[in-house]
Amino acid sequence: MKAVKGKYYFGGIHPRGMKELSASAALEVFPEPEEVAISTSQSFGKPAIPAVTVGQAVKEGEVIAHADGAISSDVFASISGTVKEIKDITGDRGNETYIVIQSDGRHTKSYLPPLTAPDAEAIKARLKDAGIVGLGGAGFPTAVKASPKTPVDTLILNGAECEPYLTCDHRLMVEKTEEIMRGARYLAAALGVKKIIIGIEANKPDAIKAFEQFDDVLPVVLKKQYPMGGEKQLIYVTTGRRVALGKLPADVGVIVQNVGTCFAVCEAVELGKPLYERAVTVSGKSVATPKNVWVRVGTPVQSIIDFCGGESSAPKKVVLGGPMTGTALAGYDVYTHKTTSGILLLSKEEAAAEEPTPCINCGKCADVCPMHLMPMNTAFYSAAGDFEAAEKYGNARSCIECGACEYICPAKRPLIQAIRKTKSELRKASAPAPVVRDVAGKPLKEIDGKPIEEAAPDNLKNKEENNG
Amino acid sequence: MDNTIVVSTPPHVKSKRTTRGIMIDVCIALAPAAIAGCVFFGWQALMIILMSVFACVATEFVYYFIQNKGFAHKCADAASVCKRFIKQFDFTSVVTGLILALILPTTDKWYEVFYEVLIGGIFSIAIVKMLFGGTGKNLVNPAAAGRVFMFISFSVVTYVTCNIGYIGDSGTLETGATNLSTLLGANATSTEGLLDLFLGTGIAGCIGETCKAAILLGYVYLAARQVIKWWQPLLFLAVFGFTAVLMSGFSYESGYKFDIELFLPHILSGGVLFGVIFMFTDYTTSPKGVYGQLFYYVVAAILVAVLRYLTKVEVTSFVILLMNLVVPLIDKYFIRKPFGYKKAKKEGK
Repeated sequence: MKAVKGKYYFGGIHPRGMKELSASAALEVFPEPEEVAISTSQSFGKPAIPAVTVGQAVKEGEVIAHADGAISSDVFASISGTVKEIKDITGDRGNETYIVIQSDGRHTKSYLPPLTAPDAEAIKARLKDAGIVGLGGAGFPTAVKASPKTPVDTLILNGAECEPYLTCDHRLMVEKTEEIMRGARYLAAALGVKKIIIGIEANKPDAIKAFEQFDDVLPVVLKKQYPMGGEKQLIYVTTGRRVALGKLPADVGVIVQNVGTCFAVCEAVELGKPLYERAVTVSGKSVATPKNVWVRVGTPVQSIIDFCGGESSAPKKVVLGGPMTGTALAGYDVYTHKTTSGILLLSKEEAAAEEPTPCINCGKCADVCPMHLMPMNTAFYSAAGDFEAAEKYGNARSCIECGACEYICPAKRPLIQAIRKTKSELRKASAPAPVVRDVAGKPLKEIDGKPIEEAAPDNLKNKEENNG
Repeated sequence: MDNTIVVSTPPHVKSKRTTRGIMIDVCIALAPAAIAGCVFFGWQALMIILMSVFACVATEFVYYFIQNKGFAHKCADAASVCKRFIKQFDFTSVVTGLILALILPTTDKWYEVFYEVLIGGIFSIAIVKMLFGGTGKNLVNPAAAGRVFMFISFSVVTYVTCNIGYIGDSGTLETGATNLSTLLGANATSTEGLLDLFLGTGIAGCIGETCKAAILLGYVYLAARQVIKWWQPLLFLAVFGFTAVLMSGFSYESGYKFDIELFLPHILSGGVLFGVIFMFTDYTTSPKGVYGQLFYYVVAAILVAVLRYLTKVEVTSFVILLMNLVVPLIDKYFIRKPFGYKKAKKEGK
């Protein structure tokens, strides 16, 4: 269908795209690494439970850890070989359990059976079995998303890729257009929806053109504005529907899926290939040759950098993910996840490392906030330790942490840090007080005549949630 | 591993604009008005501008020096304190000094007002800005406060002369019929041609306030660089002009007359244009949210128009101070609703 223009959205920034570094680099396959370390925590929700033992031989695509509960996903071996060890590593996302596999170099595969003309239930089962998660960043299990509680009428494909530097989705859309469309049709069939919309930023005309040739998808051209790929923003711009605070897209009849996820769905359904490989952008001015590469989950970042020619100059910042929301690394000794979309080596000129200066109240952070919040108020009150006021005047809880406010801030204030601090303090405050129980399971009020607060203060401390 | 790698929370790229860059932009925007002032009023005007900027920057430096050097405990050497001062210097005091000078009248003998300008600059920076915590913490606009301070302290020589009269060749105050005084007087009329008002030729007034063309040039620069929002001064001027015309309708002996032809003369007379472009828009002392800003500019415009009519003097500086003081309240009551907020309310969940 002919592309249409998206609605106007108030709020957002226009950072330098820097996509020209890697936009023309076709996807390359990264050679199989010698050793991979695969985290069991590959998705939003609980980490998976390891299902292999040390010394066990595994094939490519074999389940090595089972999902724990509904919101969790299976983890698969990304190379064939033997399990070398299972250990806890403190990496870029905190402490996680990693399964280290030593390659045997034989590339033996163990895929699921391919499906021909599957029905909705079969597709949903395959999404779960293949461990598909949202590849946009959060890593929410797609199988859960594909079974919404409210009726849905539209599937939106997220091809905005609004983060600067990242080009892997762009390359996917250009090179694997057919596959993405087939994956989208499977998802639409699973959801029982007819209408498919794809949102693509205006800076990717070749991708827009590629999708115009299909009759069953409506390409919507988005303004080059960050964060157009934010879920709520994308839904508003493409359909005009507003997702209320604390609600899910499904509540307005919409499901959003990343284009990379659609490609993974297509491979899982047609080839039976579980999700253990993804496209990753390696970019930044400090990397010798910026590339888009197919990387297996668990590949050491160091070897990917080496594959791209190593450093061309000393980087100021090493970022896993996009420059606006990614994690800064202290070194290269980390491993990729299912949700790793980019590895950026930012040079001194690119990376922001200025000292913050006093807030001058310019209000630019509020002007660019895509959620229409007032980040300066949150920062002000959280610095004073008044987190209730930080929520009241700044609405910190509704923040999507896109980083637009901190990008625009002329005083370089650490706004995102303040918002995260406020969120975590509010979470702590709103968590119910734990109950100490005796052996029989009855709640204890006092121990040896002392009130419980004095007798066992450690037991009453709220344990902070750890979602990775 | 290279130990220069920085680890921080996202975002890892930021815009290149800094507070210092914005303040330099404001200085550039003030340049046309300052140059026009020097052209119209001669080198005495230049001396006043230089003195005022010097007083402001020097005051900030001395304050910083005392604060950081710590005379009680000599912990840092003077050279490193100076270096740190230059590193953190953000040009806000230059902007204050420039604005303060541009809203002062000129005289033929600049050395007679030398100490007044100096004290005004020191007051603006030391009392109004630094004592409240420096950049971004001041409650009121330092330049406006400095001007009002000078008005109260040295009223005859400086303040009254603005827009009401001017200091003539003899150095004495000549309360001549300026355009503003006829506009605000009985049977309001505009004595000067619109073009003269616009260019500032042959008009008495403050150094930077007479040439409206130069001020508008500054406005275009500020709006293009997105230092200020383009609609803010326009909203103010529209509301102000309309209210001013409404008010001057009462001045006719023949009964109420609504004369829309006075719209432009009202806007172009006195210091309103300069005040709204360079002083009301000051970040620190204006509301943070868009709704708060709307309220702020509308109320300020009405106040300026009404008070100017009632008092028959230029009250922009006073209204700036008054509005600055209610900004914390405005910020408290005009809280923006997040995206998707209304819908949640409708559903009643």
